[in-house]
Amino acid sequence: MSNTQKNNKGFNDPGRFAFMSVAPMFSVISLVAVVLALAIIMTKGFRYGIDFAGGTEVQVQFNQKPPVSEIRSFMETLVDSVMVQTLGENNEVLIRMQMAQGESEKEMNEKNNERIKTVTAGLVDKFQLPGDAIRRVDSVGPQIGEELKTNGVLAVLYSLIMILIYVGLRFDYKYAPGAVLCLFHDAMITLGIFSILGKEVNVQILAAILTIIGYSLNDTIINFDRIRENEVVFKGKDLSFIINRSVNDVLSRTMLTSITTMLAVIALYIFAGGVIEDLAFTLGIGVVVGTYSSIYVASPLVVLSDKLSKKWLTA
Amino acid sequence: MIDNLRTRIAIVALIVVISVLWTAPNFVDTTRFWWPSQDKLSYGLDIQGGLHLVLGIDVENALEARLKKLSYTMKEEIKKEKDVTIGEIDIVNAAEGRIRINLKSPQDQKAVQAYMEDSSYGQGRIFQTLEANGQFVESRFYETEMRAFKKSLVDRTIETIRNRIDEFGVKEPTIAAQSDSRILVQLPGIQDSAQAKELINKTAKLEFMIVDPEFMPGSPRLEEVMGWIQEAEQKGGFALGENNLGYSDYLKKINEALKDKLPKDRIVRFEKAPNAKTLEAGKIPYVLQTDAMMAGDSLNDAAVSIDQIGQPIVVFSFDAKGAKEFGDLTTKHVKQLLAIVLDGVVQTAPNLREPITGGRGQIEMGGGGDRQKRIDDANLTAMVLRSGALPAELEQLEERTVGPTLGHDSIEKGKKAGLIGAVLVFLFMLAYYRSYGLLADVALGLNVLMILAVLTSLQATLTLPGVAGIVLTIGMAVDANVIIFERIREEIAKGAGVLAAIKEGYGRAFWAIFDANITTAAVCVVLMYFGTGPIRGFAVTLICGIVTSMFTAIFFTRTVLNLVVGKWKWTVAP
Repeated sequence: MSNTQKNNKGFNDPGRFAFMSVAPMFSVISLVAVVLALAIIMTKGFRYGIDFAGGTEVQVQFNQKPPVSEIRSFMETLVDSVMVQTLGENNEVLIRMQMAQGESEKEMNEKNNERIKTVTAGLVDKFQLPGDAIRRVDSVGPQIGEELKTNGVLAVLYSLIMILIYVGLRFDYKYAPGAVLCLFHDAMITLGIFSILGKEVNVQILAAILTIIGYSLNDTIINFDRIRENEVVFKGKDLSFIINRSVNDVLSRTMLTSITTMLAVIALYIFAGGVIEDLAFTLGIGVVVGTYSSIYVASPLVVLSDKLSKKWLTA
Repeated sequence: MIDNLRTRIAIVALIVVISVLWTAPNFVDTTRFWWPSQDKLSYGLDIQGGLHLVLGIDVENALEARLKKLSYTMKEEIKKEKDVTIGEIDIVNAAEGRIRINLKSPQDQKAVQAYMEDSSYGQGRIFQTLEANGQFVESRFYETEMRAFKKSLVDRTIETIRNRIDEFGVKEPTIAAQSDSRILVQLPGIQDSAQAKELINKTAKLEFMIVDPEFMPGSPRLEEVMGWIQEAEQKGGFALGENNLGYSDYLKKINEALKDKLPKDRIVRFEKAPNAKTLEAGKIPYVLQTDAMMAGDSLNDAAVSIDQIGQPIVVFSFDAKGAKEFGDLTTKHVKQLLAIVLDGVVQTAPNLREPITGGRGQIEMGGGGDRQKRIDDANLTAMVLRSGALPAELEQLEERTVGPTLGHDSIEKGKKAGLIGAVLVFLFMLAYYRSYGLLADVALGLNVLMILAVLTSLQATLTLPGVAGIVLTIGMAVDANVIIFERIREEIAKGAGVLAAIKEGYGRAFWAIFDANITTAAVCVVLMYFGTGPIRGFAVTLICGIVTSMFTAIFFTRTVLNLVVGKWKWTVAP
């Protein structure tokens, strides 16, 4: 019966790391980080991509190093607010124009379309470019932008609701708030970083954030699953002890999966380029934040909601 | 689940075989030999390049135009049928289809109301009275009529756009309704997006032109014209569809070349040959009189009907101004052929048996062919007539153009990123778990194969974010194996034997993996529902990866372990 013996020996072992004793400190850090992120998002806001804000984006390839300032001054003769930046190593330039102003949405759409023609034809003409130098044109009118925004918000909302319901059903009710607040934490911090860095928020980024939510939840659920299991094994022990033990039990898995996912994400970030680069960047933040939060945010919250519910029940 | 080792191995073998069958056509030219599945993965526009447009139909404008046209007819018909002269007709609210008929005298109310409620214009009752008094009768379209109108508006616009796209010879274009007022157009591989846009946005042009009797179909003179056309093509070194020569440019060239050979005021237009799919595949020339023609914009409506002997016919009607013009034209050229020309393409050229006065006419379908074919022809002709008569204004809401070189670069980069990511994960797992790592790596390889197989069999479209989804899956799919292997190590640390530890590891890990995966899958479902094109691709590949990883990481690896550790008694531990 060596098995039982070992188990007995391990019965009082809280695990290698005392996560729960430092949890209060990290809870404060997380809380501050979320509040800060919210404050930054509210004051600085986001740089929305044309998916949400509407507008036009043109990607042009030059034969040699693109003359950015010349392009900029040429563009300013055509449109009022324009942004020109170099892109990658292929002598490429990204030109971004805001939504054309107009009396009605229809007029804005018409102006936008007119603009595509003048700008692309103008560039080809002025800089003597071959016809296929215009590598990409994206133009989004006001209605579509509005719709994509609404759909984005709805997508996040429905994801959270589905997760809440599932966690509530599969686990005890006391786990659900921890899971959802943890996801909120991850999403806010990622968005906060986007706001600070002034990175563009577009449809792809939103998809990436939703994926982070899924990924972080993945970690959280593995933790919860072990907590649930250990609640039976370590009957009579303090919940805080059980959680500490569980987090330690699955710690190596948590780290390993984070590493493999990070390897894939880094490969995407370095080699895929273009639209995928920002997607990978978001996922990278998400993997780090998600791993942290499933240990230091989700699990302590289980203790908290357990205490609170017990207080209410006895009061 | 399934404990019998033989059954498990058989299932794994079967799935591997099916996966290879489905995936192979993407990498090997399987058309050269017998292969059960020839489907290939199709790439999204962001990879193969092309034009993506979302067009809004100006429904309100179309409704207003329709109400205006109807109101001319109403005035005349109320006079004719009820002997009542009405006052002005106001369009109260075009978007709701509301019009108000002002009365000249209060006693006209009953007659006008009766007319409005009975009026059908060939399609059943369409107006519902909202208010009627001594001053006016106010009516609106029935809800069903509104819906039918919007639907036919979308259908007609799609049909018109499709006809124009055909001119470009685009392979596999997508032209589909996105809502009751939006149309999605996707043209893969298009080079000149500006020209394509221009062509789509141009309003359909319908013309009625008399066929020169000297050049009747089948006549020797027309044979001569065909010779001239061939000669011009050879001399000029051009042909329709070659070097991106569109139909309108082709027409210009041909008519330029034949200008001196044809009589004055004659032009050549083409009809699609009966059995040809496109104009390029087969076309029949017509010589038409530009001095005997009229524009089709005064056409009110066209519908399919059945004549006395049960044959399908197309009935159409003009507004008052058009009726007179059409009457004059058909009186002057009775017994001749009247070509109905849409955007320069002859759609049909029926024989004018008698003058069509009074603004209403009918076209009989040719005698040949079976009845179903004639009904189809009638439907098509009616649609052609309507699409020229009621062009809805299009508004461009969204445009995305990707050049073919950019798409090519992107997919190459994506493949490279995927490969490097996979190699890194492979090496990491191998270094950390040794033989078990190798097992997880084989499972991972099988997983990628299965993802491609499922995507191919679903005929899914692979987009760039979709490729990212596959790469992300590579990173995440090993999670299941990590969970299991860690559990096995834990059990061994507790003192369990390897075989028992394996049993325990899989048993306990299954639900944890399941719970974790189902939430990611739930997010993917939300993304599939709310996402557009590329994002949907990301969600589809990710969800495929999750499902297939449940098989490869759990079922497959366990089968191998059962075989190696259980049967062959090799006690390898992770």
